[in-house]
Amino acid sequence: MLKLLFRSTLTALGLALLVAPTALEAQLRNVVSKEVAVGRSEAALRLEFSDDGTLEIAFEDGVVLINGAVAGMFEPGDDLEVAWRSLLGQAVSLDDGELAGMLSDWSVPAGLASELADLAQDVDRALEDALSSFDVTLRSDDATVSLSIGDEASLLRLLLNSTSRLGLMQQALAGLRGDFTIHVDEDLVVPAGTTVDGTVVVIQGDVRIGGEVDGDVVVVDGTLELLEQSRVRGEVRLANARLLRNLGTVEDGLVDLSDEERDLKSEIRSQVREEVREEFRSQLRREIRDVTRLEFSDDDSGFSLMAPFRSVFRGVGELIKNLISILVLGLLGAGAVAFAGTKVDTIAETARRAPGRSAMVGLAGTLLLIPVWLLGAVVLSISIIGIPVAVAWLPLFPLAACAAGVVGYVVVARNTGEWLADSQYPWTGWIRKSNPIYTIFGGLFGLMFAFMAANVTSILPFLGFLTGLLAFAGAVITFFAIQIGFGAVVLTRAGRRREWSSTYDADAAWGAAMDMDIEVDVDATADQVEEDPDDA
Amino acid sequence: MRKAFCLVAVAAAVAPGILAGQSWRTVTTSHLIEDNDEVRVFVEYSAGRLKVRAADGGVLYRMNLRYDEDIFEPVSDFSSDRLRLGVESIGRGFNIGRRQQSGELDLEFARGIPMDLDLEFGAVRADIDLGGLALVDLDLSTGASQSTIDISEPNSVGMSTARFKIGAAEFEARHLGNLNAERIEVDAGVGEVTLWFNGRWQRDAKVSIDMGLGALELWIPEGLGVRLRKNGFLVSLDSEGLVKRGDAYYSRDWEDADRKVTIDLDAAFGSVKVEWVR
Repeated sequence: MLKLLFRSTLTALGLALLVAPTALEAQLRNVVSKEVAVGRSEAALRLEFSDDGTLEIAFEDGVVLINGAVAGMFEPGDDLEVAWRSLLGQAVSLDDGELAGMLSDWSVPAGLASELADLAQDVDRALEDALSSFDVTLRSDDATVSLSIGDEASLLRLLLNSTSRLGLMQQALAGLRGDFTIHVDEDLVVPAGTTVDGTVVVIQGDVRIGGEVDGDVVVVDGTLELLEQSRVRGEVRLANARLLRNLGTVEDGLVDLSDEERDLKSEIRSQVREEVREEFRSQLRREIRDVTRLEFSDDDSGFSLMAPFRSVFRGVGELIKNLISILVLGLLGAGAVAFAGTKVDTIAETARRAPGRSAMVGLAGTLLLIPVWLLGAVVLSISIIGIPVAVAWLPLFPLAACAAGVVGYVVVARNTGEWLADSQYPWTGWIRKSNPIYTIFGGLFGLMFAFMAANVTSILPFLGFLTGLLAFAGAVITFFAIQIGFGAVVLTRAGRRREWSSTYDADAAWGAAMDMDIEVDVDATADQVEEDPDDA
Repeated sequence: MRKAFCLVAVAAAVAPGILAGQSWRTVTTSHLIEDNDEVRVFVEYSAGRLKVRAADGGVLYRMNLRYDEDIFEPVSDFSSDRLRLGVESIGRGFNIGRRQQSGELDLEFARGIPMDLDLEFGAVRADIDLGGLALVDLDLSTGASQSTIDISEPNSVGMSTARFKIGAAEFEARHLGNLNAERIEVDAGVGEVTLWFNGRWQRDAKVSIDMGLGALELWIPEGLGVRLRKNGFLVSLDSEGLVKRGDAYYSRDWEDADRKVTIDLDAAFGSVKVEWVR
């Protein structure tokens, strides 16, 4: 029933267009929405009409696009672009009727070069076609049906989009220019000796050409016969149509869009097949990777040939990580000594002389880091001027805090290295107290010794408790080292303020010079002097 | 604060040379009134200058936007009586500082169409006049901005609550009486807030002000009954013209006033000053 109704409508509309031209009345469409976008390389207009139609014309990067299709090229700054931008400048302040009238009245600027003039003509036509509206009134004995048609092509698009099969016609219409004669649901005969001007479109009808068509011939849902001596001066396009006989001449060739559609389907099918294949391959790769990873993972479930070596791999891996950490921290420390040796000395001296105070300050500083960070951001955000500073403050403050922690830790490592150099512990003979690089690396080994020992014991069986104990000890040592170092950095304002004024210690200097330990009890010596002044 | 804005203005004046590399794009969109019942409007604008006005001539909305296309893309989406306007960051470039300062967004909305308006903006100089709009709901949220909100003409439809969320800002709202709201909520973080309670009060109203740190000025027209209840910590109140009774401050004509406004003030640090409009 619906199909019958649809066919009847097509027939009626086709007849209306053909036999009742006087029933057409042109007027401007209602523009309900407008968008004008102007940039350095773009000047675009987008309109929406009350009947849901749209028009989009864009001059973009040297290309003119009409409803997304390339209409031609222009040179940025040429007369056509200037005229178009001027038109958009006027369109900005107008709406609906005034806008439609202004756009519809636009004409091709005078003095354009021929190619630009053609392009301008296309733009003008697109504007006029989109903005013009035709009212078709069909009258019969018992009813009147009114229909508004946006432009000459919209009726056709409306009809052709109604079924997916007829959607082929959109391809058939692509790029066609000039006058159209549309026949819906009827046959067309062009007798020998006659000529039809312009493009002929026949929908749901058969075409028999004995004469001449001065344009393209498009057949949808029908058949085409080209008789002897017949001539088509354009292209023949068949959309879901058959060519019964081809005895005439087609100057621009014949295109079977059904074949194209078949090719397109085939191409899509191949693409889908390829995508599925690729998906399958990547799935397989993922599974293989997961299986391989399982072999080395900590998951003890199931049997694996690698199981006996897991602890060795893990322990050695962790040990290497710690060694790399020592290397990186040592290099950072060496850099700090090289570029800010005096400041490092000041921080080290404070950490050595007042480790408890430094640790307390470091702990308090650590606890206050986040509140200070947030408060600083809020205070800076109060003023507009402060906002850029706040933006810098947000990332830089945490970075500075981390840097202070790292430098503090390295400084404590240096002190530890000096202490190890003085000690008689085995394997510490290589640490030369006079060279800060040695003391830093020595100290780092000392501070991280517990971690590395834990890495070694983790390789061996039955030593889990000892491993945990060593790791805990390492964590405690690291925590206090960082707190002491960070506190010393804070106390000395990053080494700029000396906490302790250096005084000359003659005994220490003598001891250092003689490489011997001297302990002098000053009070006892004084008492002795008082008791035996002569001996003294 | 004003000095800071003067400096920003000077910076903006010399900025064109610095900003030569920016890609400015101008977009104008408009939509006619159709069969619109109530339109929900959401505006999001991160930085620049913002203007909002009532439109004339059968236009539902009109947007003029100037923005840097390297950083933002415009948003203009109207469907099913939901309207989204403004810009969205496209995640290219480093979106701070001067690059955002010179963008402009001018908006016009239809008079008489019931509107649920949600304005959200960041570092913006906003000049907003909601006079003539038919507002059924209002949510305004600002970041670090200098905003002036005026309701120059009475709201033809009433609303239950108008909400203002202000970050670190200089904020001034005029003719709050014209909002025709049962309740007005002001949630301010840091900055200077000035509220003018003039305009045409068509009903009694409750105003809730929650202030973090800053200065608050309340400009109250004579003849409007006002009751001010303060709950604050380290807040100085200059309550000239108000009489304290119990735990609240009352205007002298509280009992006789045609329209009564109760202001609940909750502030942490700062100063509150009451001024009278004659």
